[in-house]
This record gives sequence, C-alpha cells and structure tokens, in this order.
Amino acid sequence: MKRIVIDAKKCDGCKNCTVACMQAHRADEGTVYDLDLTDVANESRNRILVDSDGTYKPIFCRHCEQPECAMSCMSGALQKDPLSGLVLYQEEKCGSCFMCVMNCPYGVLKPDTKTRSKVIKCDFCQDAGGEPSCVKACPREAIYVEEGLG
Amino acid sequence: MNQCYGCNTCKSADKPLEGFIRELPMETSHHRVEGQSTKCNFGLQGVCCRLCSNGPCRITPSAPRGICGASADTIVTRNFLRAVSSGSGCYIHVVENTALNLKNTAKIKGELKGLKALENLAQMFGIEEMDVYCKAEKVADAVLADLYKPEYEKMELVEKVAYAPRVKRWKELGVMPGGAKSEVFKGVVKCSTNLNSDPADMLVDCLRLGISTGIYGLTLTNLLNDVLLGEPQLRTAPVGLRVIDPDYINIMITGHQHTIFVDLQERLIKPEVIEKAKAVGAKGFRLVGCTCVGQDLQLRGSHYTEVFDGHAGNNYTSEAILATGAIDAVLSEFNCTLPGIEPICDELRIKQICLDDVAKKANAELMQFEFNKREEQSEEIIEKIIAAYQERRGQVPLNLFPEHGNNNTLTGVSEGSLKEFLGGSWKPLIDLIVAGEIKGIAGVVGCSSLTAGGHDVLTVELTKELIAKDIIVLTAGCSSGGIENCGLMTPEAAKFAGPKLRAVCEKLGIPPVLNFGPCLAIGRLEIVATEIAAELGVDLPQLPLVLSAAQWLEEQALADGCFGLALGLPLHLGLPPFVTGSKTAVKILTEDMKQLTGGHVIINANGKESADILEKIIMEKRFALQI
Amino acid sequence: MKHVIIGASAAGITAAKTIREIDAKAEIVMISTDAWVHSRCMLHKYLSYERDEMGLSFISEDFFDQYNIQWKKETKVTRIDAVGQKVELGDESNVAYDRLLIATGAASVIPPVGEFRTAGNVFGLRNLSDAQQIRSMAEKAQRILIVGSGLVGMDAAYAFLENGKEVTVAEMADRILPLQLDEKAGKAYQRLFEQAGCRFMLGKKATGTVSDASGNISKVILDDNTEIECDLVIVAAGVRPEVSCTEGSGIKADRFIEVDETMQTNYPYVYAAGDVTGISGIWPNAMKQGQVAAQNMCDIPTVYDDRYAMKNTMNFYGLLTLSLGRGVIEENDKVLISEDSKNYRRAILRNGKLDSILLQGTIDYSGIYQYLIKNEIDLEGKQEGIFNLSFKDFYGVKENGEYQFQIENAAFA
Repeated sequence: MKRIVIDAKKCDGCKNCTVACMQAHRADEGTVYDLDLTDVANESRNRILVDSDGTYKPIFCRHCEQPECAMSCMSGALQKDPLSGLVLYQEEKCGSCFMCVMNCPYGVLKPDTKTRSKVIKCDFCQDAGGEPSCVKACPREAIYVEEGLG
Repeated sequence: MNQCYGCNTCKSADKPLEGFIRELPMETSHHRVEGQSTKCNFGLQGVCCRLCSNGPCRITPSAPRGICGASADTIVTRNFLRAVSSGSGCYIHVVENTALNLKNTAKIKGELKGLKALENLAQMFGIEEMDVYCKAEKVADAVLADLYKPEYEKMELVEKVAYAPRVKRWKELGVMPGGAKSEVFKGVVKCSTNLNSDPADMLVDCLRLGISTGIYGLTLTNLLNDVLLGEPQLRTAPVGLRVIDPDYINIMITGHQHTIFVDLQERLIKPEVIEKAKAVGAKGFRLVGCTCVGQDLQLRGSHYTEVFDGHAGNNYTSEAILATGAIDAVLSEFNCTLPGIEPICDELRIKQICLDDVAKKANAELMQFEFNKREEQSEEIIEKIIAAYQERRGQVPLNLFPEHGNNNTLTGVSEGSLKEFLGGSWKPLIDLIVAGEIKGIAGVVGCSSLTAGGHDVLTVELTKELIAKDIIVLTAGCSSGGIENCGLMTPEAAKFAGPKLRAVCEKLGIPPVLNFGPCLAIGRLEIVATEIAAELGVDLPQLPLVLSAAQWLEEQALADGCFGLALGLPLHLGLPPFVTGSKTAVKILTEDMKQLTGGHVIINANGKESADILEKIIMEKRFALQI
Repeated sequence: MKHVIIGASAAGITAAKTIREIDAKAEIVMISTDAWVHSRCMLHKYLSYERDEMGLSFISEDFFDQYNIQWKKETKVTRIDAVGQKVELGDESNVAYDRLLIATGAASVIPPVGEFRTAGNVFGLRNLSDAQQIRSMAEKAQRILIVGSGLVGMDAAYAFLENGKEVTVAEMADRILPLQLDEKAGKAYQRLFEQAGCRFMLGKKATGTVSDASGNISKVILDDNTEIECDLVIVAAGVRPEVSCTEGSGIKADRFIEVDETMQTNYPYVYAAGDVTGISGIWPNAMKQGQVAAQNMCDIPTVYDDRYAMKNTMNFYGLLTLSLGRGVIEENDKVLISEDSKNYRRAILRNGKLDSILLQGTIDYSGIYQYLIKNEIDLEGKQEGIFNLSFKDFYGVKENGEYQFQIENAAFA
C-alpha cells in the first residue's frame, strides 16, 4: 500500500501542510486565499510539533497495518480498506464515542473542536484524487508518498 | 543531450519568446518559477508577521492572534501599508531626481526640448515668468518644495494638478497628503512593531500615499520628463528582440529615470564618439530599451531615432535580451533590474554599470549620477563600454532572434499627441463613446509577472477579451512591453477587436490598444480621464473607464493601485495583494471603498471572467450617464 | 474447514471477517440470538430515537454476502457436543463444526431486589431486544428509574432525558460513574445531568419494590426508605458472561469461559472470545480477542496480549472525558493535577510510571497515554510535563514508515 513517508530531519515547521490540509477539507467553496484561518471548524489532520531541541516532528496518520483505531471502533465507521490499505472514516456511521482517539498509540486523532461529534481523520485526500494535499504543499519534500509499503 | 538549461520554463503570452527562453543555455527567471511554485499559504493571505523577535507569527484557528495580540486584520494591513509606503517611496525618488535634473539643467541653461510641456506646467502651477530657464527652475522648485514638506504641511500642487471634484472628495475624506517624502516616512513608522493596529486608519494612509504617488510620482514626472526630453510624438516603431542590431555597440538600459540619460543620449551620437565605435569595428552606439525607461525612450523616440534601437521587451524579457549576446553593457538606475541578470552578465561578459545606488547590482560598477559631473561620467561610461565590447565580441557567441517582435507598433502616444491626432480636442473620442462605437476605455497598466498564468498571460488574454468587446485599451508600464511584443499594438491588430472598435481603428489607422509608455504614464491616463470628465462635466467615477493592473508585480504597483482607488476607479487585479487573510481589509477594498472614493478592487485571475466583470461595470456607468 | 461462531457482536463478527481474510474457501456459519447485528455501545441512541435498527449496525449492509458467511439469526444454541464436534439448536437440529468459537457475550445482572426479576417493566440494557422492549414501553412511561450510574446507566439516562422523561438515577457509590471518574470529574457530569432535569440518589441502594395490579413495579424503595415512583426501571448494575450454552459440555466455564492466551478453551478446536471470557469486557478488546481466536482457528498461532481494560471515553452534553486506569491513589504515588476553565486533568504516577490518567474537557491527541500505561513506560524526567506529552517525546519511525515508540535507546513496536 502507499503511505506518506516522513523525513523529519527535513521538516522546518513552516506548516504549509497544515494549511493545505485545512483547505482540502473545508466545508465551503474557495481557494487558499480565502480560507478562514480563524474558524475553528477548519481543522488539519496533521500537525507539526516542536521538540525540545528545536527540531520539528510531523505527526501524520500512518494508516497502520494493524490500525488500533479501526480495531476499537464500535460503529464500523473506521475500517481498513482491503484494496488501498487506507484506514477510512465514514462520518455518518460514527457514534461519537471517541474510543479511537483513546486507542491511537501515537495520539494522532482528536474529536472535532467545533461540535465534538466526529473525529478528525486523515483520508489520504480520497476526494482530491488520492494525492495528499499536504505532500503537494511541502516545500522541502519532507513528506512524500511511497508505494508498496507493508 | 542538448545545451538548454531546462525545459520547465513558465508559459508566456509571447510564444516565440517562450520558445527562445526554453532553449537558452542559462537559467532565467522563467526557469525558476516551477521551483518556487509551492507558496507559503500564510504569506499568500498576508497573515505572517515578522515585525518583532517573538515572531514570525502566523494566524491559525488555534492561534488567531500574534503573540502581541495583533489580529489578522492588523497584520495584513500593516504588511500592506509597508508595501504601499515602499512603493510610494520608489516613485518619489524618481520624481525627486527628475525635478533636480530639470532644475540643474535650467540653471546651466541646458537644452529644454519640451517647451510646450513647460508652459503647460507653468500655467498649472501659476508660475509667470518670461525666461524659459527661470520658468523651468521655478517649476522644478515648486515640485521639490512639496516633496520636502513636513507631514503636517499639505502639498500645494495637488490642488493645482488634480481634477477639482476629486480634490473636493479627498478633502472631505481627509486624505490630502503632506510632504511626499514625509508621508512615506510616516507610513514606514506607522506599520512598525506595536505601533498602529487600526486597519481602517492604515488603509486610509494607503489612499493618501496613493494620491501623493499618483500626482507627483506619475503625472508630474511625465511632464517634467517632457520638458527635458521632449514631448511624445506618434510614430511606428519596431519592437522585440529584432531591434537589437549586432553591428552596433548595444547598451541595455533599465529603470525609470529617463532624465539621467540626457547627456549620454546626446553624446552617443556625436561624430567623435561614433568614430570611437568605428575604431573598434562597430557602426556606432545604440540604446536598447527595456523596462519603463525603455518605454520612455520609445515614447520620445522621435527625438532619438539615431541612438535608440527600439524597445526590446519588458522586465521579464530582460534576460532574453541579454542572452542574445549582442548586448555589451547594462546601465541600470532603478527597477526592474533583476538580480538574475548578474550571473548572465558574468557569463556573457556584459559590463554592468549602475547609475543610482538604489539599483546597485552586486557585480555592477557604481557610478552614482552627479549632474555636475555628467559629461565626465558619460565619457567614462563610453570608454568602459567600448572596452567591454572589445573584450567580449567575437568571444561570446551570438544568439539573435531577428524574427521576434514586429516592425510597426504604434508608439509615442500621450495625452498631448493623441489629442492632437484627434484634431486638438477629445470630442471625437467622446462622440465615439457616446455613440457606442467605442463601449468604454480600459487602462491595462502596470507590470509583467510570471505567475497569474505565466509571463504576460493574463494581461494579453484580458486585453484581447476587452477589445473584442469594443472596449479600447490604453496601456502604461511593462504591460505595454508584453502586449506590443505580441503584436496587439500594430494597425493589423484591429482584426482582434470587436466589430465596432475594429471599424474605428481601421478608419483612423490605429491599433485597438494604445501604448502610453512607462508605468509613469498612468499619470498621463489620469490627465486624459480628467480632461474627458471635465468636458462631460462629471467626476471620474462616472466615466465608462476601468483600470486593470492584471499582473501587478511590485510594491510600486500597489501604490499605483491606491492612486487608482483614490481616483474612484474600479481596479482589477489578477492575484490578491496578500490581503485576503483580513476580512476587514477585503471588505474595505472591495466594498466600502465605493462609498469612500467611488473606486473598488476586483480580484480575478481569469481573463474572460475579468473582462466580463469589467464590461458589466462599463455598461453600468454608461447607463448612469444615459448613453 | 468449517467454522461455527456463536454470537454476532464485536468478537464474533471480527472473528468471521478475519477467518475469511485468511481463508477464502472455508465455510463460515454464524449463529446468534440477535435479529439484527448491532453495536451494543450505541443502544442509547436507539432509545432516544436518534438511530433505528439499521443505524446501529457496525457492518456494511452486504457484509454476509461480501464475506460469504452464513448467518442463522434469531437462533439459540442450547447444547454443545465438544466431543462429537457439533452444536444443537433450539429446534433440535444440529450444526457440525471443525472449529467452534463461543462469542456469546454477557447478560445483564438483575439483582434479586423485590420484584425486579419478575416484573414486566424492569429491563437490563444489553441487547437490541432489550432496547426495543424498553423503547416501546417508554412511549407510555414518564417516570424512569435507572439503577446504576455506570456508563450504560448514564447513556440510558441521557437518552430518556433527550425524550423529555423524568429520570432518577440510583447509585450505591457516593458519586456517579464511580469506576471511571473521581469526585470532581463526576460532579461535572452530575451538574450537567441535573441541569437537564435528572435526579440522583447517591450512596443509596434499592432494597424493595411495590407492584401494581398488572404486575408492573410502581415504586422502588431505597435503603434509606425513600420511595421512588416509577413507570419503568432500567437495571444497569453490571453484566455476567453468558455461558449457558456450555452447560453439560465439559467446556470449563464457571463464571466465565476459561481460555488460554490463544483464546482456546480446555477442548481443542473450541475457542471463546469477547465478554464471555471475562477478560477485559470492552468492545476494542473483544474485537482483538475475536481476531486472535480466528487466527488460531486457521492454524496461525498468535497470542492475545493486549489485556488492558481500564479505559473509557465519555461524551455527554458536550463535555468529553477520557479515563485510563483504576484511578485509586496509593501510598507514595505522585498525583499531578492541572485545572483551568476548560480542562480538569489528573494523573497518578507510581514508581515513575503512569498508572492512571483522567482528562476532562479536551481529549485531543490523548491516545499516547494508553500506550504509556499499558507498556509501563518509565517516565522519569518527564513526569512534571505529563499533560504536555505527545508522540514527539517518543518519536520513532519504522522502515515501512509506520511509527514506533522510541524509549531512550530501545524501540518498542
């Protein structure tokens, strides 16, 4: 399957990936020019953390081989798609229990800030042709898609 | 493998040029567009702030304020004011030098080629003087006095030069500018760390800076230039890379300050200087036009047919011009002098001399222009260029492109020459507009950029769409350079116009796009608009006139844009000027401005859509005028 | 190979799916008493009419077709012949098996208080059939008593309050949700429920009932003699594993079915998974147990080792809480508390390791804590910043791009 590979050494914390993700998942129409950066409903699925030594650690959903989130979902909303290997989220099925948030060992997931009824989950930009917007937006190529990963 | 540097160059509206650049063995700005295509999203919105050491701060939903508490509105408008101040400063520098050169020339009773322009200015300023040199000096002094005023003293010439109904409105809005240099100074101070955080206040300052830029940096600079260098006269001229004649020692000039070249221009055609050229195997010297100073030379080309080859191209054509190998020296005194020409000049052994340190290139020799030393400086420049010619010609291969461009672009259009062409009054033009033979006027002005579709792509596309709608297009700036190289300023271009405009053009023998010259000539467009409005007895916002700086590039363009807004005109931009992160700024610029000055900003990167929007506005204005 | 699975909830469904993913040709038969496959964690959404039967499903509509599984629904297994390798159904027919998985879950415990076990208006809330009966009876009922303020009880209370019922909750402990929350965190929810009209009887036990002529309970009496008038009683006082089908089979099952670490019972080819095993009775663990059982049933030896069960999330009236660990403070424990207008956080550290953590307010990105507790990660030097820990503090990346915890110089998978 394909996965977004992270080369943390190349990350310089510019957060272009974060804004690109917000833009890709915004509810209204528009370009990145008019993306409302003060609206908490605009959330990124990834985040960049600053380590104590000043380096940056990108936290991106791994679409794990053994996805703890899908293995804890009581509504069937989170499932690993057998063809693509991606762990996909169906918002309509979600029961807002957030056991997935509790179970992701890497702390990737969160409830949405605005309504606290759904989970902010990376979908590999399925609706954008399957090419993650974050990868396209990284000026350092610190994140890139690699195929054939187990 | 061939020798071309890379195939991924950006598109250009000028297809032959695009192909030429793609095959060059050296890197140009066109090659670098792809590598820079990932833009910082915060920067695009204008919500990145680097004003203090706690930054850089960015606005995000979890951090909607900078550390100091600045909101997106504050950050965006601070950045915008900083850009407009900077842009205004550029123009004021140009007008200051221009006025000083006029003053100094008058003092030594040097040649004044534009006496009509001088008379015009003296009348406008209310200066009565018999002796032309005294008159000229007083005119220059009046301008300088205003530029040097402190901020708390309003500049006097604004009222004398600008259209009265506009001045009235500006006084109501409280945007009459103080001393031009002080306004720039204030703008820069105001937007510094933890000072002003009132977005509306800062945007009003931008209007003030726009007026100062427009009246002095644009309108008056043209007229002062005319006094020294002669008024523009209509003529057809060749344009494009074809103008470069390898038999001559070719000097490319870049900048905005035509008056710096007064002495050099004359000297280069003197017999003894031509002999020096012949001694090293050339037929003489030629100046090759590039950027706005090139447009100025082209505009006044009728006075300089011996020394001026023609305008080869705009700012983003400068690298291609150098790459022909037939340019022996670059003389720069302002922008756009791309940093990217440095490695090209190095490789092609082109001598770089910088005449104003504001445009110093890293590997250029600085010879700061001093009026009193101008003759020695010209001599020295000539010697150095001859040495460069000797060193490089024959060593460096030529890569000419004689098919590029065209031979019959109409140039020399000014408020004076066009009016004269129409028989001495604007009535014929007004009649055509009233009758609907010409739907309206669009000023497609400003720069050339490499984004917004590519090099001049949006500019040319928009122009074609506008003339197809019978809207006559007037250009000023590097936009002119791109459009003329694409052939839209030849009489044959009438075939691209809509049926009514085409008929007018064919009857008069003019192209549907008229080139007023450098971006300074936006000031000339203002004079045309003012005179037409005065005849109709209306204010500028009521004219069927729209402005587009479709591919605005630099901060000066933003200052120009503020002038356009102050004049009450609809102003179209292809890309937003890094303001969309502030809802307040967007609202003020695109909506509230209509109630303030009558103008407003329209942002659209699509040529067809933009033309539709502008046409709709023109129709609304026509309707209101009942024509 | 023929696999028979009794029970079609978390463990059973996951096992069936896993078997099919391993073996395309095996025959898989599922037998369950349910009429619908449903998520028992969402029954309260059925009570509140937020979802219907189909909306409770955690599988796709064509699951049984897609995975080629035969499902005998509304069918009870009455006996298991572990020697003859067959199960007997309610209609006395038999189903033979090569491998058997018992995933029958658990049943509500109704304590022998008054007429609780015989009245017509007392229900546990464990299966969809319970919820269907409750919902239908609740149409006419106005006053509802819920015994037990654990997660099931509070979920039910929420559903009834949403439908405008008068709800009373009786709880033996001195606070609500006593196993998951401390007093402060519990009080926060108590206040929200009370604002919604809920009445709480804390530290009280039901001791007797009064019935009406039709055999329904009309009053419940508490140990302090308070009388609670009610039309409907929901008992959410715990569950016990549903082992009845193993009676007489020789399969070792007392209070729960005993299994080894491969989920196998004392009989070869007979496995058990989920709540019926008594090991960590929560949904995610049931899924994992089903997966492990299925792998072993397909002769792929795996062990079930993720037994960590003290973990809960809850979401009422916009207030989120995540609770890990028993939450009991012992001597020499280090207790760290962080509180502001938006969050209440409490961590209990023992011998340098995180034992329990409670986060009320924001639970963003809190998944790492379960890993730290489960794997007993030494947090020396990181304790003071416990609430600001994130994966960056353990950042490791595998060759295939997945993350792994980097603890000092050792890497954990």
